[in-house]
Amino acid sequence: MEAIIPETVHYTAFAFLLIALVLAFFRLMRGPTIHDRIVAMDLTASIIMGFILLYSVLIRKAFYFDIAIVISLISFMGTVAISTYLRQKR
Amino acid sequence: MKVLRKIYAIIGFLIYYLVKLVIANVYIAYDIVTPKMHTRPGFHRIPLNIQSRTGLLLFSNLLSMTPGTLVVEISGDRKTMLIHVLYSENEKRLLGEIDKIQEKIIKITR
Amino acid sequence: MLISILMLSGTLFILIAALGLIRFKDLYSRMHATTKATSFGLLLLVVGVALFFFTGIVLLKAILIVLFIYLTAPLAAHSIARSFRNEDQESRD
Repeated sequence: MEAIIPETVHYTAFAFLLIALVLAFFRLMRGPTIHDRIVAMDLTASIIMGFILLYSVLIRKAFYFDIAIVISLISFMGTVAISTYLRQKR
Repeated sequence: MKVLRKIYAIIGFLIYYLVKLVIANVYIAYDIVTPKMHTRPGFHRIPLNIQSRTGLLLFSNLLSMTPGTLVVEISGDRKTMLIHVLYSENEKRLLGEIDKIQEKIIKITR
Repeated sequence: MLISILMLSGTLFILIAALGLIRFKDLYSRMHATTKATSFGLLLLVVGVALFFFTGIVLLKAILIVLFIYLTAPLAAHSIARSFRNEDQESRD
C-alpha cells in the first residue's frame, strides 16, 4: 500500500515542525530556571523524531524507524539523568 | 470464566484510556490556541487506595495523561499522592473522577 | 488521504505543544502541555508513517515506539517535577 502523499502535505508538516523547533529554542534560550531548559530539550528531541519520520516518508526508506527508537530511548535517559543529578547535587 | 472477565476488564480499560487521551488533548489544545487562558493551577493532596506496584504505575501514568492533572510526588508509605491540577474549580468532581479510576485499576490488577 | 490527515494533525499537535511551552506562565503548566500534546502528536505521526509503509516489521516497530513513548513520557515529567519541587521548597524555607 504505497499511498501517494501530496507535496503540499509534506511542506506544511515540515513547516509546522520547524516553527515548533524555533519556539522550543526560544524557551531554551530564555528559560528562567534550568528545569525549563530540560523540558525544552525534551520537546526538541521529540521534534527531531518527527523530522526523521517525515523524512523517511519523503525518501521512502523504512529503516529510518530505528533512528526514531534510538532517539526516544536516549532522550528519556538524558532527561532522567539530568533531573536526578540536579536533585542529588545539593 | 475468571480469565475471560479479566480480559474484558483490560479491554474496557484500554478503551477508557484512549477516550481520556483524546479528550485531554483536545482540552489542552483548545486552551493553548484560544487567546484568553482560563487555567487556575494549584496543588492537591489525594488519598491512595492502590498498594500494588503495577497498579501504582498504571494509575500515575493514566493520571499524567488525563486532562489537567500531573503527578508530582508519592509519599513514602504509599498513602497519599501530590498532584498538580490545571483547572482547580470543582474539587468534588475531580476527586470523584480519581476514585472511579482507582476502582477500575484495582479491578484489573487483582 | 487518511495518512495525510494523520501526519498533518500529528505535527500540528507538536506545534501546539511548543506554543504552550511559550505561553504558559509557570513550569508545571508548561509540563502539562509538553507531556500530553507531544506524546499524542508523536502517536498520530508514528501511526501515519506505519500505515504508509504497511509491512510487518514496521508495524511492530511502530507499536514498540508508541508503547515506549507512553511509558516514559509521564516518568520523565514526574522526575523533572519532583526535582523542581525539592528546589522550590528549599528556597521557600
